[in-house]
Amino acid sequence: MSAVVSPIRKPLVTGNKTYHQITEDLISPTEKAPTKAWLIGFILAVSVATYGVFCIIWTIWVGIGSWNLNRTINWSWDITNFVWWIGIGHAGTLISAILLLFRQKWRTGVNRAAEAMTIFAVICAALFPIIHMGRVWLAFFIMPYPNTRGPLWPNFNSPLLWDVFAISTYFTVSLLFWYTGLVPDFATVRDRAKGFRKKIYNTLSFGWTGSAKHWQRWESLSLILAGISTPLVLSVHTIVSFDFATSVIPGWHTTIFPPYFVAGAIFSGFAMVLTLMIITRKLLKLEDYITIEHIESMNKVILLTGTIVGVAYLTELFISWYSGYVYEQFAFFNRALGPYWWSYFGMMFCNVIAPQFFWKKSWRRNVTLTFFLSIVVNIGMWFERFVIIGTTLARDYIPSSWSLYSPSWVEIGIYIGTMGIFFTLYLIFVRVAPVVAVAEIKHILKSGGNQYVGEGAAKAHHSSEH
Amino acid sequence: MDNNKDNIWVGQMDLNHDEEFLDTLNQEFADDDIDYAALAVNLSGNRRDFLKLLGFGLGAATVAAGCDIPVKKAIPYVVKPEEIVPGVANYYASTFVNGGDYCSVLVKTREGRPIKIEGNDLSSITKGGTSARAQASVLSLYDTNRFTGPKLKDGASWIDTSWEDVDKKIKSALISASGIRVVTNTIMSPTTKKALSEFTDRFSSAKVVTYDPVSSSALLDANERNFGIRAIPNYRFDQAEVIVSFNADFLGTWISPVEYTKGYVKGRKIDDITKASMSRHIQVENHMSLTGSNADNRILVRPSEQGVAIAHLYNEITGGGMSTAGLNDRAKASLKKAASELKNAAGKSIVISASDNVNEQLMINAINQALGNYGNTLDMSTPSYQRQGNHSDLKSLVDDIKGGAVNCVIFFGANPVYDSPYGAALKEGLAKVKNKISLAISNDDTTDLCNIVAPMTHYLESWGDVEAKKGQLTLIQPTIAPLFDNRQAELSFLLWAGSDNVNENSEQPYYDYLKENWKNTNFKAQSEYGSFQGFWDNAVHDGVFSISGGSAPSFNSADIGSDITKPSSSELEISFYETVHMGNGQYAGNPWLMEMADPITRTVWGNYLAVPVNFDGVRTMVGFKNLKDGDIVELTIGDKKVSLPVIQQFGQMPGTVSLALGYGRQIAGNTGSNVGIDVNDSLTVGNTGVGYYNTNVSVSEKVGKEKDFSCVQYHHTIGVRGIDKETNTEVNADESALVTFDYFTGVKGFQGALTDRSVIYTSNVSELKENVEHLQERRKEAQHLNEQQIYKGFDHLYSLGHHWGMHVDLNACIGCGACTVACMAENNVPVVGKHEVSIHHEMTWLRIDRYYYGDVENPSTIYQPMMCQHCDNAPCENVCPVNATNHSAEGLNQMAYNRCIGTRYCANNCPFKVRRFNWLDYTKADLWPINQPRLQEESTPFMADNLTRMVLNPDVTVRSRGVIEKCSFCVQRIQEGKLTAKTEGRTLKDRDVRPACQTACPADAITFGDLNNMDGDLNAKLGSPLNYIALEEINVRPSVTYTMKVNNRDKSFDA
Repeated sequence: MSAVVSPIRKPLVTGNKTYHQITEDLISPTEKAPTKAWLIGFILAVSVATYGVFCIIWTIWVGIGSWNLNRTINWSWDITNFVWWIGIGHAGTLISAILLLFRQKWRTGVNRAAEAMTIFAVICAALFPIIHMGRVWLAFFIMPYPNTRGPLWPNFNSPLLWDVFAISTYFTVSLLFWYTGLVPDFATVRDRAKGFRKKIYNTLSFGWTGSAKHWQRWESLSLILAGISTPLVLSVHTIVSFDFATSVIPGWHTTIFPPYFVAGAIFSGFAMVLTLMIITRKLLKLEDYITIEHIESMNKVILLTGTIVGVAYLTELFISWYSGYVYEQFAFFNRALGPYWWSYFGMMFCNVIAPQFFWKKSWRRNVTLTFFLSIVVNIGMWFERFVIIGTTLARDYIPSSWSLYSPSWVEIGIYIGTMGIFFTLYLIFVRVAPVVAVAEIKHILKSGGNQYVGEGAAKAHHSSEH
Repeated sequence: MDNNKDNIWVGQMDLNHDEEFLDTLNQEFADDDIDYAALAVNLSGNRRDFLKLLGFGLGAATVAAGCDIPVKKAIPYVVKPEEIVPGVANYYASTFVNGGDYCSVLVKTREGRPIKIEGNDLSSITKGGTSARAQASVLSLYDTNRFTGPKLKDGASWIDTSWEDVDKKIKSALISASGIRVVTNTIMSPTTKKALSEFTDRFSSAKVVTYDPVSSSALLDANERNFGIRAIPNYRFDQAEVIVSFNADFLGTWISPVEYTKGYVKGRKIDDITKASMSRHIQVENHMSLTGSNADNRILVRPSEQGVAIAHLYNEITGGGMSTAGLNDRAKASLKKAASELKNAAGKSIVISASDNVNEQLMINAINQALGNYGNTLDMSTPSYQRQGNHSDLKSLVDDIKGGAVNCVIFFGANPVYDSPYGAALKEGLAKVKNKISLAISNDDTTDLCNIVAPMTHYLESWGDVEAKKGQLTLIQPTIAPLFDNRQAELSFLLWAGSDNVNENSEQPYYDYLKENWKNTNFKAQSEYGSFQGFWDNAVHDGVFSISGGSAPSFNSADIGSDITKPSSSELEISFYETVHMGNGQYAGNPWLMEMADPITRTVWGNYLAVPVNFDGVRTMVGFKNLKDGDIVELTIGDKKVSLPVIQQFGQMPGTVSLALGYGRQIAGNTGSNVGIDVNDSLTVGNTGVGYYNTNVSVSEKVGKEKDFSCVQYHHTIGVRGIDKETNTEVNADESALVTFDYFTGVKGFQGALTDRSVIYTSNVSELKENVEHLQERRKEAQHLNEQQIYKGFDHLYSLGHHWGMHVDLNACIGCGACTVACMAENNVPVVGKHEVSIHHEMTWLRIDRYYYGDVENPSTIYQPMMCQHCDNAPCENVCPVNATNHSAEGLNQMAYNRCIGTRYCANNCPFKVRRFNWLDYTKADLWPINQPRLQEESTPFMADNLTRMVLNPDVTVRSRGVIEKCSFCVQRIQEGKLTAKTEGRTLKDRDVRPACQTACPADAITFGDLNNMDGDLNAKLGSPLNYIALEEINVRPSVTYTMKVNNRDKSFDA
């Protein structure tokens, strides 16, 4: 044992776990029969997802006319939901890639679930650009493939095309990263399993034996993928923001959008991670792995990004006034005081005011408040996208074409349905894979503060804080 | 080897001189040792072959059976008609006539189908202009509700019969009848009149009763008393410097709007701003009419004050002593001012009224006489025959029918049960009439009460002549053989009368009759042509023929009675007005017109009660009784009570409400039946005519909300000004009203949000110089900004070849909407129905934006035709992920529908919001019917019927659902123009390419052409300092140029 005694660093895993206990705690949920709570949740999620799928089929069958969009507001809930989901999908990669590079060891408690969330959120997000097309059966036109029409290539000037590349790249890399992390854990599951289950997990773990060479390669691959995905964290939402920033519509045509969108995405991503983690740690009894420290760290990120977003909102207002350009000025006047004033108010309250509670340490560490505010932030971020898309389009240059919009049952159904899809996938995930990265958490068990001697130190048998 | 001298060998055996090979080489047929005869019976196969065949067979059968290959019929001409070249359009001169509505037209036909109406430039009346009604008339030819042949009423349904049967029945009915009436609308055809006179000669008890759906009877009566002829003067608006119109919507619906518009805009266009002069147009009315919206000043009087308002002007001008008690003081002062302007413009002014009170019309005539306008701006030597209705005839018809004096009535294209104020009485009386015959084209409210239908042909299937003005004749020629077993109405009358002048067995009996009549009349009146055939061919070719000469009858003053409209002290009055698209219901069955946005209210599919609106002085536009757009109220007129939606109408006089005529027809086919409210039974019937108002009216509070409030423009104003209550200063009321929620900060709008929009520019003619300078400054600033960029653009490419552009003169545009219907017809734009419009799914490629500006209580109006601006730096093009919309080398922003996947990104990024998305299957291109919207719950969706689809322009793709479409600058016409120039071996002139909106426009407001053609029509317009480009500063570089709207408003009227 090392002689260094740090009274500062608290252990990242509480409860004086042994390696075996960790394995037991984290692998057993995949081995036991599902709990009642899980079953109820799963049935609910699948029902909602089924309704969402029905609404999607309805849209394709009847046409976009089943939505309430119109000649002025050609995008609204569809792209709002798209940006919202993509934003949510940002935390995972940030946690796994950027925090890995920055050697933030606390990330290991949440990275697995956050990455899973990213992947499921991107799946939900990617649905919208596809189904919002008037002729979805021709969606393959956007892919650059050699063809006999000239060949006719897609328009490389279009931000919508950049989106296709950005999102598909992001999805692929996130999936690889996630799966790479899962390989040693699948091997652990396999080692404990019997019969057919063992075969499946053997395949899933690619025959992992845990040799030193395996670990070395695994570490290298993780680092490489982290390096690849780090710029992606910034690029995906930057490119999504280009959908708006490169247009000529007042309220869209702004250079602030890329950083503003990225900050907003991390903001909403962390909020969603918190929402999920708080439920997961409670239901799977993972309080020792996903600790209050984790929650507090993430709350700090939320406070920071929420404040960045707030500054961006104020900057927008200032610039619109400073521009001296009547359309730009009116766009913001209309956002705040026009017919959709409530969405602007909601955005300001949820995204700028609500996170300010986290300046107080005890509130940052309050699980109930955090859970509540994480939902508030998610609502606020949805409002933000609605303000940017729906409100802005409703009143632009030509007053004769100003219009109003409210969603149809199909649009609402699809949005709710994506939540069903998301939770269905997440619930399946918690049943088949360890929610916390077992191998990685073992890695930090000894290194991250096991010599802590302060309050609530090793002598106490179990962590009693929550 | 002899044959291998050149060392060419085939294979090793050849090289080695193999014997066997050499033997076979010279044989023509290979000896293959197969017993072909035995093969047929010995077809053997192994298991593999069987499976292969089975697999292939199943696969092929599945593929063949699984694909529903639509059956398409294309039948070639066995003998090709000489004049038809497939793919090339033919144009035939004809005349659109519907009662008194008239337009000299060219009918465009493709492969024998009429598909489009164009104006006839040779006409001295309409001069190439058209109206929305004329444009839409081609669709009524293909109306699925048309009668397909003669029918007899059996209970509630119509049963088919033969013409022999019908003729027999009618003839026997006529012979036994002791009282025959032929009820018609205005008939402008001399030959029809001749046929009718043969009919009335044959049956001595027969009388022709003529009335107009919107009556001008008193005007005609007054002229008869003053001039001895029952006709309408030739109004020459081009000569008028001051125009005072009492409720006469002469630009939209009154008598001959296309003709008047042509003249009117001559006095409104500004060619040289240093010598800018405009006519002064004063409209006296209570509701915002199309004409009133174009007026410089509007004097607001209640409908019941119209009489005393005319009397006041009469007193001022002629020194007469009519009583003017009851006229509001403001109107008195304004009319006094108008009188002095009129006196200053004596001989160069026009005073008109739509009043149907003969004493009021006599006063109008006296005013014009006192001003010396007759012989100058009002010409009685070539009077107009476009209204001939006689109200007293109609009244006695109703009395005769009720009294039982009529036992045979023939409705010749008239629908008095709906469109006369006597509908209920007629309906009741008709039950007593034994034989009721209708010649209607399709079933209507009157025809449905008849027992025999002898349907006449549509004007596009008919021969005929029209004398809209004295000596100005036009011909109607058929452009298609009758689609159904219908017969020309005139022929029916002649046959029933047993005329000797018509040969029933001739191929076209009425054609012969018409020709014969012309031979005896018009041919003799001219001297240019020696042979009749030459004369006739020329007349048919040009469609027009005129006889000059004739002098004006002199003015005889007549006693003016005291029976004029009595001002009412009622709290609320309602006025009824005719709209451009519906008439008084004659056009209700036409989907294009039903879905054409009303120029003023911008509503479709129904009539909305126009209620006054005002600024509350804080931040709300408050409607009458706090009513908002789309609220449902109960309207009580007399003892009639109806529920209907309201619309806030700027410029509506407080204390009055208005409602359009022409809606609420019970039987008007799939489109027109039961749409809106019928108000014809609420008109006020006077002694000499009809009053289009009612004073016994009340409006309830809001009782509900209209489910499908179909208004294509929610925001009506662009910076109207009102008085702020707190500061008592004039503020931008419009912008104050934009605030929905102010977070309790008392924000009252953002000043400049609407007034400084670079979308429209307006000016008073007296401030023109300053405003043009301001405009130029803003343009310069925008252009300077646009130069600050790193991309060099493609201007160097656009300066080569053609570069298409358009100029829209907003001073000429009166907002009539003819272009919007022409665009729908030309470009196969779908009709989507009320519900779809209510959620802003209308598909119009060209719309006319209407904004009010100036005084919030009595605003001025501007119309802005808005279509794709064909930006040379188009924001829609760079955002399309699949290149479906892109730029042509000629500067066109083009759509490749096949490539479009429907992301609608382009529509979002269009600053002008002109892109239209096919939300549902509006054109029946899909396989399943669930997404085809029904217009009126009809069994077959509109556009799904093959008859309706005959109107489609074969040069324009019909778009399927899920794709974006928009104005193409009529690219098919550009192509045609280019080919014409090419085949004629010359350079293209701007006139070779005229898009549908340009040819339709009665005001010549639209000029299309090649920006690179410096000598062209377009460039001639581009020099004006009034020109601007909408949203120039965003550097999208539109190809459409607008002009600053100049009005001649005299602010002293508003005091």
